Amino acid sequence: MTSTIEPTTAPTSPRGTSGHATETPQGALDRPVELQRTLDVSGLVDSDGGLIDRAVFTDAEVYQQELRRVFAPSWLFLAHTDQFKKPGDFFATFMGEDPVLVTLTRERKLKAFLNSCRHRGARVCRADFGQTRNFTCSYHGWSYDLDGNLVSVPNESGYPESFAREQWGLVEVPHIETYNGLVFATWNPAPVPLRESLGNMAYYMDAMLDHDDEGTEVIGGVHKWVLEGNWKLAAEQFATDWYHVNMSHGSALMVMSPTGKGPRDEIVHRTGRQYVDPNGHGAGFPVHPKNRFDAKTVHDHIDYTALRERLGDARVEGPLTNGHATVFPNFSYLPVNGSIRIWHPKGPDRMEVWAWTVVDKSWPEEVKQAQRLYNLRTFGPSGIFEQDDGENWSECQAIAHGFITNGVALNYQMGLGSERHDGRHPGTTSELYSDAAGRSFYARWRTLMNTPAWHEGDTR
Amino acid sequence: MSDGILVAKLDDIPEGEGIALDKSVTGTVDNIALLRDEDGSVWALDDTCTHETASLANGWVEDGHVECPMHASKFCLKNGEVQGLPATKNTCPHRVEVRDGDVWLYPNEAP
Repeated sequence: MTSTIEPTTAPTSPRGTSGHATETPQGALDRPVELQRTLDVSGLVDSDGGLIDRAVFTDAEVYQQELRRVFAPSWLFLAHTDQFKKPGDFFATFMGEDPVLVTLTRERKLKAFLNSCRHRGARVCRADFGQTRNFTCSYHGWSYDLDGNLVSVPNESGYPESFAREQWGLVEVPHIETYNGLVFATWNPAPVPLRESLGNMAYYMDAMLDHDDEGTEVIGGVHKWVLEGNWKLAAEQFATDWYHVNMSHGSALMVMSPTGKGPRDEIVHRTGRQYVDPNGHGAGFPVHPKNRFDAKTVHDHIDYTALRERLGDARVEGPLTNGHATVFPNFSYLPVNGSIRIWHPKGPDRMEVWAWTVVDKSWPEEVKQAQRLYNLRTFGPSGIFEQDDGENWSECQAIAHGFITNGVALNYQMGLGSERHDGRHPGTTSELYSDAAGRSFYARWRTLMNTPAWHEGDTR
Repeated sequence: MSDGILVAKLDDIPEGEGIALDKSVTGTVDNIALLRDEDGSVWALDDTCTHETASLANGWVEDGHVECPMHASKFCLKNGEVQGLPATKNTCPHRVEVRDGDVWLYPNEAP
């Protein structure tokens, strides 16, 4: 990684809501525990038998518990380091449903703050991204510097003597770390380090992110669109589902094939492996010695011999190109077209997809553009494959609220018992066509959902 | 009429930005913001916004005015007149001359 950006680790209280190492004033506030009812979800996921209860996609209380116990303690993807070049560069995104601002401070530290004014709670930055010197709330004008300090309060003399600006800075996300250009953060005050939480998943991610010493950058902005469907439908598919490709994407595959009749038999009936991570990550990839990038300009530029030397034959013949992957809980990517995306939860029935195109910094401009256009044609809001995926997820969600429907279990049994060490790829793998990584995804989800998070320690 | 003070090289001030001069250097009541418009011209105003404590030298300079970085009040570069809320009071302008790439300030002299 060549970025000069240094992530920071902020001090935090057990409650985790104390930006700038100061306690968040609570005064006489004392939140009743009944505001947060907790469900035992162990009966909703049978990861050994391969069954999932549809309430995990539809129930409002399950969803609220996800925000508290799955999203709040997990490492969540924020942005690419390439988006922060100069002090004051910022990017607004979400962690779960919490709006956050990612900024590069004057000391070139990457920090993330809750994008909510400490006065009345409006966002202090309403722009998607940009360059700034302060974040000034457009409601009453409380203004915060790039380190989140409250630096200006109009009519400050109107507050009591006990008012101290130092206590009312932006709430800082306590931990922010990067991995090969990807920025992740967590509200967890004592997290397992990012690299450790990725485990063997990092090996598969490097097949996209570590082609050479220069690393990657993102081009073409951030595409954002709304889908009716639970966020897990997308996250699990990218973890575990090559199975849908020939059926769902049949028409797209036919259009893109030279004959118009679809790809050859050996392409349709591909064999490969699926990586199954104990922390809920997953990646599937066809395996073939001649696997290649689909965009011709990219393929022509790639030095596969050099990649074999750097990444090893197994990675070049597998996860380098065709395939899919999810970093638990809601970051996914597609190596062949450089699509990286996050599935932002927006209630149980809706998600927002934010997608970037990642390319190698070292690629000539025409190669980068070829990859961008290939990604645009296949995935993203105008992508012919993306349309099929979004339609599937919305279809599954649209009917799942039916009373009888909701109680009918879903089948995740493909590849039951197939998980093994294959001697070629690190960690546990299953077949290319398998639900194994999906079962692991939901097992991890169930564990987190049934584990009290740090912030539940000091509720009444 | 004071003598001019050599305060900066023109190249020290990026177009659209400003630098703050300490009052110990300028001998003025307030620090002075040396501001360079996007057309290349250089202007000087009292640095502290008349609304709240903020440095206009950190503001955005464009199209004949500076916008405060804190609450977006605007001031005319030429005469210091306030051009937008929340500030309501004018700020004080000072004369500036650029000669041979050097920026000379004439504190408390009207432009």
